[in-house]
Amino acid sequence: MPDIDANPSWADQVEDGDDVLPPPTEDFHASTGTKILTEYKFNDDDKKVKVVRTFKIEKRKVSKSIATRKAWKKFGAAEKDAPGPNPSNTIISEDVIIQFVHSKDSQLNDNDEDPLNKIKGQKMVSCRICKGDHWTTKCPYKDSLAPLQESLDEKKKDGDAVDAAPGAPPGGAAAAKAPGGKYVPPNLRDGGNRRGESMMGGRKDESATIRVTNLSEDTREADLQELFKPFGNISRIYLAKDKVTGQSKGFAFINFHRREDAARAIQGISGFGYDHLILNVEWAKPSGTNP
Amino acid sequence: MKPLMLHGHDRALTQIKYNREGDLLFSCAKDSHPNVWYSINGERLGTFEGHGGAVWCIDVDWDTSKVMTGSADNTCRLWDCSTGVQLEQFDTRSAVRTCGFSYSGQLLMYTTDSTMGQKCEMRIYDSRDSAQIKNNEPMMVLPMPASKVTSAVWGPLDQTVISGHENGNIIQWDMKEGEMVHKVLDHSKQINDIQFSKDMTMFITASKDNTAKLFDTQTLTHKKTYKTERPVNSAAVSPLKPHVILGGGQEAMDVTTTSTRIGKFDARLFNLIFAEEFGRIKGHFGPINTVAFQPDGRGYSSGGEDGYIRLHQFDSQYFEFDIEY
Repeated sequence: MPDIDANPSWADQVEDGDDVLPPPTEDFHASTGTKILTEYKFNDDDKKVKVVRTFKIEKRKVSKSIATRKAWKKFGAAEKDAPGPNPSNTIISEDVIIQFVHSKDSQLNDNDEDPLNKIKGQKMVSCRICKGDHWTTKCPYKDSLAPLQESLDEKKKDGDAVDAAPGAPPGGAAAAKAPGGKYVPPNLRDGGNRRGESMMGGRKDESATIRVTNLSEDTREADLQELFKPFGNISRIYLAKDKVTGQSKGFAFINFHRREDAARAIQGISGFGYDHLILNVEWAKPSGTNP
Repeated sequence: MKPLMLHGHDRALTQIKYNREGDLLFSCAKDSHPNVWYSINGERLGTFEGHGGAVWCIDVDWDTSKVMTGSADNTCRLWDCSTGVQLEQFDTRSAVRTCGFSYSGQLLMYTTDSTMGQKCEMRIYDSRDSAQIKNNEPMMVLPMPASKVTSAVWGPLDQTVISGHENGNIIQWDMKEGEMVHKVLDHSKQINDIQFSKDMTMFITASKDNTAKLFDTQTLTHKKTYKTERPVNSAAVSPLKPHVILGGGQEAMDVTTTSTRIGKFDARLFNLIFAEEFGRIKGHFGPINTVAFQPDGRGYSSGGEDGYIRLHQFDSQYFEFDIEY
């Protein structure tokens, strides 16, 4: 601590103005081999700052040539530096650890790069034959169940087209729930978005939108057009692209004119192998409902 | 381990090198002040003031008395290591890309870029004949074939120089006759760095084609390949263990368009013999431009595009690690 004798009261110190900095002190503890340097300086806000630095003094036996070099005078930009490291040039950084990679899993070590690993937990992979958590080609029941499944699919297709038609668009559900005493902003009140609908109503019918994910980076809009054309008329294709590189981000939205077509596209394309990846197709969530 | 961050440069590092005993670390960067540091505590011994452009290469002689630097200001300079005073200056007609002392420290070598209508040349001086340096009359001038030199080192016993070229060629030059002895093309892109193993029987090259390769010094036969996914800027062989360290990252010009997570700016440790990666060390905020093993093999340093040198002392984990067979 600064010597108290010169200024007996801290109040005096404050009144005198605090331009005076106490001299730096240096303590050396021979027992632990540490040197403690205490300095005072003004920081950018003109506040007095105490800087305490603790050094460990270590003696090492080295060859004569190294010892001579250690005694060299500093030169160039370091000429005015005090002995010992200058804290503005030499910074002790945070701890780092060597991440050991085992040779066996060296192929899998790029965890965040491998898209398959990301999906693993989400049960995105679903076998078309037994609905298990694996690729269709790896299905243990492939030989026994596959022919049976195919015949089932034929029948189901006819049924689905009928099923899908009366399905209510899921967009209306969000606006409907808001009873009780809570304040509801006008645009969310019942009927609030009806006006908006009428204004841009014809523009797009989100109920017939599907989301395609797990597309490869090389996919172009024309490829999607070709892929989904057989299912019905497409009103719009939106392929998400990286702003800078222009490469596909791996997902796309496809608006069909008719919801039945969209339903059939989901049925037909989901799980379809395209460009070495298995496509995943599902109903798009109406924009605005997801966070 | 807690690395020391040495901040003496304002711009990207271009080369770092330890002296023979490993107590000093020399560094140069794209700013014009090469630095020298005590490797034991990261204290800066000094800077060599005088260059007027990016400094591409730095070398120190056997007994740490002289330092040689080559710069884009069309000079190669010799410095007194103990005082930082400039001893000699070689004026060239284009930027000096690589420079080096021979093992004995008697012969000096530097190569120039093929820019501004100049041809790429390798110049050799004998420091025992003071007239050569004074009148800038080199002992030997070797014109380089089509592709320019991007890295070059003296071979063992002052007999050869090994140069790596922009097109991926590696050439061994005989220094007595001034002739090309061996020429191999194992890399498909520019050779960024060449470093010897401790006994100088092998050397490792780092190339922009995403690999580092190990070669035999005498015959230039290709021995091993260390594969990565990004350009390798620098590679070094451990003097203590059968390990290789690679530093790289994507090219500096592409860094701003990608996030650091994708950039992967970590140093990577490979087994020398099995050429398998066994460890990674993070730290830099940009690609690693240059790496060097401490001559005792107990640590290494890396210099990055971010302007920092990181000085690492390996901890017990590293020494206890053994690969599983």
